[in-house]
Amino acid sequence: MTTEAMTTVSSRSAAAAVAGTSTRGRGWRRYRARTFYLFASPWILGFIFLTLAPILYALAVSFTNYDGASPLWRWVGLRNYVELFTSSPAVWQSLLRTFIYASIVVPLSVVGGLYLAVLVNRRIRARGAIRAIFFLPSVVPIVATAIMWRLMFNRDAGFINGLIVLFGGEKQAWLADPLSFYALIVMSLWGLGGGMIICLAALQDVPAELEEAAKIDGAGTLRVIWNITIPMISPVLYFLVITGIIGALQVLVQPLLLVETNKMAQSALVPQSSTLYMVHVYNEFFTNHRFGFGSAMLWVFFILILALTLIIQKMSKRFVYYNVDSDTSNER
Amino acid sequence: MSQQDTLNPIAPLEAPASVRKPRRKRSRTPQEGQKASVWVYIGVFIALALFGIPFIWILLTSVATQQQFAEGALALLDLSSPAWSNFYEAVTRIDFGAYTINTIFLSTITAVLTTLSSATVGFAFARLRAPGKNALFTVILATMLIPSIATLIPTYILFARVGLTNTYWPWVLWGIAGTPYLIFLFRQFFSAIPIELEDAAIIDGAGWFRSYIFIFLPLARPAILTSLLLSFTWTWGDYLAPALLLNLKNTTLAVATAAGYLDPRGEGIVTVQAAGAVLYLLPVVIVFLFTQKYFMGSGLGSSVKG
Repeated sequence: MTTEAMTTVSSRSAAAAVAGTSTRGRGWRRYRARTFYLFASPWILGFIFLTLAPILYALAVSFTNYDGASPLWRWVGLRNYVELFTSSPAVWQSLLRTFIYASIVVPLSVVGGLYLAVLVNRRIRARGAIRAIFFLPSVVPIVATAIMWRLMFNRDAGFINGLIVLFGGEKQAWLADPLSFYALIVMSLWGLGGGMIICLAALQDVPAELEEAAKIDGAGTLRVIWNITIPMISPVLYFLVITGIIGALQVLVQPLLLVETNKMAQSALVPQSSTLYMVHVYNEFFTNHRFGFGSAMLWVFFILILALTLIIQKMSKRFVYYNVDSDTSNER
Repeated sequence: MSQQDTLNPIAPLEAPASVRKPRRKRSRTPQEGQKASVWVYIGVFIALALFGIPFIWILLTSVATQQQFAEGALALLDLSSPAWSNFYEAVTRIDFGAYTINTIFLSTITAVLTTLSSATVGFAFARLRAPGKNALFTVILATMLIPSIATLIPTYILFARVGLTNTYWPWVLWGIAGTPYLIFLFRQFFSAIPIELEDAAIIDGAGWFRSYIFIFLPLARPAILTSLLLSFTWTWGDYLAPALLLNLKNTTLAVATAAGYLDPRGEGIVTVQAAGAVLYLLPVVIVFLFTQKYFMGSGLGSSVKG
């Protein structure tokens, strides 16, 4: 069937173009639109029932004092929000901590990813294997990543403390306050190979002539990267920054799992210094059973992310260079 | 070029060469042609060490005896009597086989359903025009930015109220709904297929449904493979959804590996857990090594610019 269709493409395309325009009336357009909605319906229904409904449900719950079990809940109006904004310093501390976390992890992983991409874009031995190793941590399941880094940071038999002791230092409790924050950052940076792959694809799309011309004009390698390569791939760097920030703000599983004991996923066990905003939310839901307050925290978070995305989008117009045409030529 | 070649996709996620739109030939960047200096090799070597040590360390811990582990980091380097029994304990201390079957089952239904659904939705967004389409596409892109973890908690509460927790139905529903990222991937793929192919099918009297199933889907084999691989590994690696929605009987390996391996006093047995984690991780690494191009070339690089 396919082969047949393909053989006839060239001979019939001219006829198709003619026939196509004449048969496409109003009925055709209605049929086409109906087909679109039929084909897209799984996602549309899924979006309504599996994304929109939970978000709106959380909004409704945020105006109650529901605890997840008791049927004796009631509407409390804006009380959760009032408490959130006036008498919850712990919430704002965790939010601030999350921003500090994001402002360390995002720049480092974008710069690190770009650096690795430039390295593995050179003609080096075993390039494919090296790229694969750098990318591998991004496909490792989160539970395995957490267990690996718990072993690295283990107090008695961890690699890091082993190294410290070897050089005559003191063993540190990396997975407790106050160091757990840094352990979390190191674990997050281990996955920067994902950014490397995206940068690499972008680097390979930079026209060679531009860089060659700059070289002929006497620019050094660093100068070519700074003045030609980075501006050319700025849309991709911008994409990495946006997704990086949003990803960093919603980090939850990593701190939940990067704790000293095996009794994982009990948010009460997460040290304070790695209690990021979402961990705090998780705490309110599953330790304190304050579903109403937790939902209010979620909604503040949604609005925050929305605002942040809009701000970054506005800012980006100034320094991101776009050179792409939208690919809609084959669409009906 | 023979007929057979047209059906044999060359690169993942690109339409077969014969039906692809002419594209600017990719020129090699000057650095690429350049011979790497010593400094590049030093940089690569340091980075390799930083990325590789955690893998080596978990392997060392997984064959360490309890004694060695108690002695400290340096004792782990002694490989004279590796404790392979850790692996035996890892599969017997928890019901490893049952959890593996749960995980494979859950990952397979999710992967198959989400691939079918994402391909269909992606096809609609690539090839069909309808009022409201652009607005809907913006919504898809926006949902890629909405924190999925933040919607998972209210989803859990909602599902608990309608009795969907402790069942696999949530994964079936999520599968049917498709995944924004994969919808985007399929949309990019189907957009690149020339319109003449469709015209030919229509002249032959095929409707959208038939041309989708008999012409577009067979051409999308590389995208389908990528989608299956990605969604399978996502579910295999997911922790939070099974931790919230399932119980210790029907949960996945991720949760069992993370929460299991406790001794009677409730303390973790670290070396056995390391062995369990290695067994849990190994299939992912092996699949990745054999199918790297599908993971690494999953179109992200070329799609984000659009």
